[in-house]
Amino acid sequence: MFGGLIGGIFLAVYVDKIFFIPGMFILFPGFLDMRGNISGALASRLSSGLFLGIINPSKLNTKIIRGNLLASFFLAMVVSLVLGTLAFLFSLIVFDIFVPKIILAALLAGIIANAIEVPLTLLATFYFFKKGHDPNNIIGPVITTSGDVISILSLLVAVFII
Amino acid sequence: MKHLKEHLRNLNRIERKSYHPLIHEIHKNYAISHNTLFYIKEYGPHSNVPKTIIRESLKILLLASLIDTFGGLAVERVKDAFLSLLPLVILLPTLNDLLGDFATIVSGRFSTMLHEGVVGKSWSQSKPLRKLLAQILIVALFTGTLASSAALIISMLKGYALGYLLVVKIFFVVLADVALLVTILFFLTVVTGLYFYKRREDPNNFLITITTSVADFGNMIILAVLVSIFF
Repeated sequence: MFGGLIGGIFLAVYVDKIFFIPGMFILFPGFLDMRGNISGALASRLSSGLFLGIINPSKLNTKIIRGNLLASFFLAMVVSLVLGTLAFLFSLIVFDIFVPKIILAALLAGIIANAIEVPLTLLATFYFFKKGHDPNNIIGPVITTSGDVISILSLLVAVFII
Repeated sequence: MKHLKEHLRNLNRIERKSYHPLIHEIHKNYAISHNTLFYIKEYGPHSNVPKTIIRESLKILLLASLIDTFGGLAVERVKDAFLSLLPLVILLPTLNDLLGDFATIVSGRFSTMLHEGVVGKSWSQSKPLRKLLAQILIVALFTGTLASSAALIISMLKGYALGYLLVVKIFFVVLADVALLVTILFFLTVVTGLYFYKRREDPNNFLITITTSVADFGNMIILAVLVSIFF
């Protein structure tokens, strides 16, 4: 809840900038949900691999980890692009507003957010496992708390850049 | 030589996605768990890890994105009313976060109950299940009140003018949203969980994705409806 509240405060402070681009509300829930769907699944796969002994917690540069990171980044890019395109299309069809830059905003924010969240998820999963905890029990709240703040800040940065 | 070629041809015909009979054989002979063998088959040294992950995740991710977009569309329709209510802007990610957490908790606890055989034949008569609903509703209403209070205090500190009626309306909208959605999520979890469990599949693998997407989508729709009614 506190991650959401911090995210909400950022949103309240920069509300006029973030929602300045029409269609941002259409993009918003999908963008917030993405961090859990991609980083949550990544953490879960890594945890399973760690518990089964297939992933070595002291080796980061292995084929399976590289594959997981690559897939997570790729999925994040595709989902961001799809979310941006859907927001663009719905804005055009339902509200008759032509905002192609929302696609760029979604893609850019997706790149920024996942460049932080994916490595953070990897490092946090390994850290908790090495400390003797089950990452499945801890990583969910860590991702949702940090993800809300990171996602909203990434959207803000993307809007500023555009 | 002829036999070997035939065997190789047969081996080649086995699809990667199909359940390989070797998994069962190795599990029986060497007592290695099905989970380990499944993981090795999926992400073993000869598999293309990114391709496997992308192929299996992309469809469900795109579906979740589409569902969330419809939720966002509902709020976009009441955008002006929504943006004029600063406490609700603060509460938007907070409620999404909160309801997603409840969806995860209910899904996880119900899956465990199913595996432990606690639910029984008639779920509507199940005491532990009724207790879970009562617990989750109490916690949801308490955290909803806490989140609303925090959002109202932050709005006040930002200089937002708060009237008595507005405070009551914000509390009502948030508590109605949380109570309604937690109840919907609970019954959705029970019905979907029982469906997958009866099909001899692990509800853990499906419930969280389904319930969190419905939580995000439902939150947006219910908030949009309540805002258009009360503001």
